[in-house]
Amino acid sequence: MKPARLLRWYPRAWRDQYGEELLALIQDTLDEGRPTWRLRLGVAWGGLRERGHRTGQAGKAAVKRMADSWASPLIVVVGLAAVSITWNLKASLPPARAWQGTAALDTLAGIMAFTGVCVLADALVAAPAFVAFLREGGWPKIRRRVAWAAGATLAAGGGMAWLALGLRSMSFAQMNRSLAYVIGAFAAALALIVALGLWASAARATAKQLELTPRARAAQLLLAAVTGIAALTIVPASIVWTAAIQSSLAWLVVAVANLALAGVVAPRMIGRALRKGRRLRLRAAASGRR
Amino acid sequence: MASSGLRRPNDPPLLILVSLADGPKHGHALAKDIEDFAGVKLGPGALYGAITRLVERGLIEPLGSDDRRRPYRITPPGSAALAEALADMRRVTHAGLARLGLDPA
Repeated sequence: MKPARLLRWYPRAWRDQYGEELLALIQDTLDEGRPTWRLRLGVAWGGLRERGHRTGQAGKAAVKRMADSWASPLIVVVGLAAVSITWNLKASLPPARAWQGTAALDTLAGIMAFTGVCVLADALVAAPAFVAFLREGGWPKIRRRVAWAAGATLAAGGGMAWLALGLRSMSFAQMNRSLAYVIGAFAAALALIVALGLWASAARATAKQLELTPRARAAQLLLAAVTGIAALTIVPASIVWTAAIQSSLAWLVVAVANLALAGVVAPRMIGRALRKGRRLRLRAAASGRR
Repeated sequence: MASSGLRRPNDPPLLILVSLADGPKHGHALAKDIEDFAGVKLGPGALYGAITRLVERGLIEPLGSDDRRRPYRITPPGSAALAEALADMRRVTHAGLARLGLDPA
């Protein structure tokens, strides 16, 4: 075996940086001999460890990016809401409490729709810059991320469609007993969370490429704050729904506590977004850009 | 204890830092020097794994070279980390020897 072939265990970026040196060292070590099995295993193990290390670093960076992003609370709460929905659907409402459950469900659906509208508005604000980016040949830069996100969305959509079919053909009692339904519901919720995460990641990668005007950036900051707050209220709304279905005072207390927390956080998020936006516009005005 | 991750005396990163403490060396010279002073034979995979981590952490840096055998040198943070790790080891060594009644002079 040629020593150069041993390098294939290492990631390409590592090979570009250290490959020649490692080969020189191997050749110095061999002194014209053939690589021993021990050396081969040592190098292969080193290469695999390097691959693992780089993958771990990339994973950590991705998690950090997600944690830094306003999208992360959205992903978490939508995921929780999705799980909660599948759980709550298993309980059928007694007629006397049906209006409470319906009202809570309508409120939850309203907040989710509002969150969706905010995300859409956010995208519309960036649309002109996005079109310009595509016209300048930017598609290949984001193609792979979008393809992954689209694939995950298809998987999540398939799962949701399967759940919807299940809802039509099964009674609540049957769903309650069906392990396949519960597993499917969790899998669909998980796929939804992954799809949302991938879209958020693709959106962030795209946003980095866009040249937004200061006004658009300020609007996006405010919209991101409003979206975050709307997403945060999905959790208490979902808990209120649970409380309504189960007539549970404990759940109602948890929901009120969550709402109070959202009430404390919301003005701060809005205030911060407004201050940042104002600073952006002032800086742009000082430099003569609109 | 040392916050630089250098804990055991036979850790490849620690051995590399000790080897570079008296001047820059390339991979083969490092491996030979470490074998001489520590009796530890580092294979190419282990050596370059440790070199990669040390470069990432800024404890050593490559020197410019036209040759395939690129030398490395210890950086000031690398020297500080090595000093800290060695001081930790000396403290443990002294404590151990004293408790065995083999207190070094």
